[in-house]
Amino acid sequence: MALQGISVVELSGLAPGPFCAMVLADFGARVVRVDRPGSRYDVSRLGRGKRSLVLDLKQPRGAAVLRRLCERSDVLLEPFRRGVMEKLQLGPEILQRENPRLIYARLSGFGQSGSFSRLAGHDINYLALSGVLSKIGRSGENPYAPLNLLADFAGGGLMCALGIIMALFDRTRTGKGQVIDANMVEGAAYLSSFLWKTQKSSLWEAPRGQNMLDGGAPFYTTYRTADGEFMAVGAIEPQFYELLIKGLGLKSDELPNQMSMDDWPEMKKKFADVFAKKTKAEWCQIFDGADACVTPVLTLEEVVHHDHHKERGSFITSEEQDVSPRPAPLLLNTPAIPSFKRDPFVGEHTEEILEEFGFSREEIYQLNSDKIIESNKVKASL
Amino acid sequence: MALQGISVVELSGLAPGPFCAMVLADFGARVVRVDRPGSRYDVSRLGRGKRSLVLDLKQPRGAAVLRRLCERSDVLLEPFRRGVMEKLQLGPEILQRENPRLIYARLSGFGQSGSFSRLAGHDINYLALSGVLSKIGRSGENPYAPLNLLADFAGGGLMCALGIIMALFDRTRTGKGQVIDANMVEGAAYLSSFLWKTQKSSLWEAPRGQNMLDGGAPFYTTYRTADGEFMAVGAIEPQFYELLIKGCWGMLQFPSQKTT
Repeated sequence: MALQGISVVELSGLAPGPFCAMVLADFGARVVRVDRPGSRYDVSRLGRGKRSLVLDLKQPRGAAVLRRLCERSDVLLEPFRRGVMEKLQLGPEILQRENPRLIYARLSGFGQSGSFSRLAGHDINYLALSGVLSKIGRSGENPYAPLNLLADFAGGGLMCALGIIMALFDRTRTGKGQVIDANMVEGAAYLSSFLWKTQKSSLWEAPRGQNMLDGGAPFYTTYRTADGEFMAVGAIEPQFYELLIKGLGLKSDELPNQMSMDDWPEMKKKFADVFAKKTKAEWCQIFDGADACVTPVLTLEEVVHHDHHKERGSFITSEEQDVSPRPAPLLLNTPAIPSFKRDPFVGEHTEEILEEFGFSREEIYQLNSDKIIESNKVKASL
Repeated sequence: MALQGISVVELSGLAPGPFCAMVLADFGARVVRVDRPGSRYDVSRLGRGKRSLVLDLKQPRGAAVLRRLCERSDVLLEPFRRGVMEKLQLGPEILQRENPRLIYARLSGFGQSGSFSRLAGHDINYLALSGVLSKIGRSGENPYAPLNLLADFAGGGLMCALGIIMALFDRTRTGKGQVIDANMVEGAAYLSSFLWKTQKSSLWEAPRGQNMLDGGAPFYTTYRTADGEFMAVGAIEPQFYELLIKGCWGMLQFPSQKTT
């Protein structure tokens, strides 16, 4: 796999960090997740392919254990607000002095500097501060954050993974690690550069929700079907729009011009009436295989049964019968090999990991009895 | 810069490909964008840091020019539907035979195989087929695609850039390039793995738009202000929620309403 031989230490957190580390694990890195004492289970649910060690970083001896792990690791991923790692004597200056090859990835909401950098926040806050949230939402409604996908995952976890791999690539030439300030505000903004680059164009002329790509256009939106399901329409180009009209059983010479924005509200009603007359399956019969840019809005459950996904194997099923998306993108020579095993229990691999990192049995015993570490080895059934 | 010395040939297209190549250019790669004859301007607006060459790939001599460029390049990024490059005699087998170190990145909507792979589509279609669109939208409304950010840019351009850099990293060890099938349907789904991983949890128990993270919670949404602007609230944890309440109700407490 692409990241074979790369070792990562992930300090556990919510969403962005775990997703970033999961991507690295999927593509072959050995990921050790450091969990806090007392955590009963992995809230993130993104533990695929990782091992878990419980360590009390607030104790100096716990911090010392982490430093030993980082001496022999390629990447450290920390999800805390500015200043937290420094307070624990685990800042980049210390860890990189001991291991100049270490890639010290800092994945936060607001970044390692700036007036908001010590504040708490969540996806919606980072998205709001990035400027991007202001563009998303239907006409006449408040801006709407699309779950926690844009800041936590796209601008956060994925963007940080990109940075880590760039740093790994760079290290093959320089021999040195570096510090990465990956934060969700800037990540979400950079991801959405297109919005700033087209700000002066006609693409965003109208108020939020009335433009072509944000819900204003009748040919770029979703419609409800007779059975309460939905179809997605994305027929921008005239030749695709033609096929859309045909498929709907309408006549283009009886309709206003496709790009006549004044007519869009009326056209939406018209299209909605037509879509409401057939079921999703019936619409798929009409539009599957056509270049009309009309596709079903599949649910999380339906995707596994759809022909296109079945043919490609886009979704994988774990040993525990849980379905999730196969890692993307597909690298044909060194594909990701996501683990099919269950996610690790918290503290399941504490001892095994410390042994691998050169701790003696006596040290491990002492750390355990002094409650610096916790071990929750799964007892083998007889 | 991290990608110093890396040369990229980008075949021009809309949104995803240009964004991917712009990221590579931003981090130091030399990006040449191949534009079609007759194109008057760059529709993508994402040309930062690139140079542009106009080449007619449909002509055999034009295709031959591209092959020469690819012989000396590290990355080729093509945004077409399945089969288009092969038809131009520019498929990976040909180009990688001439340059085994070439990373051949294919960034499409539906992928290089599968029943939808020859169809046209846009962000909203890819997002729909991925399953993700079904989770996004307010209660009582149709699913809502957040502009073209999730499939075109996140699951498309950014995911492809990730793959390209992984392939570059892998190449430092193997000396070989590879083919990348980066498509927006799978990219958007993988990005949103969390949704499948928490499907059985209480996080998505309610209908769309009535859950904590999709617009249902009063402490995780946006509010309109007196001047028609908006504030975002994301106060999930009790200690943050406490401060939210203080901040709101503190300002609303009138002296005459105080009870002793």
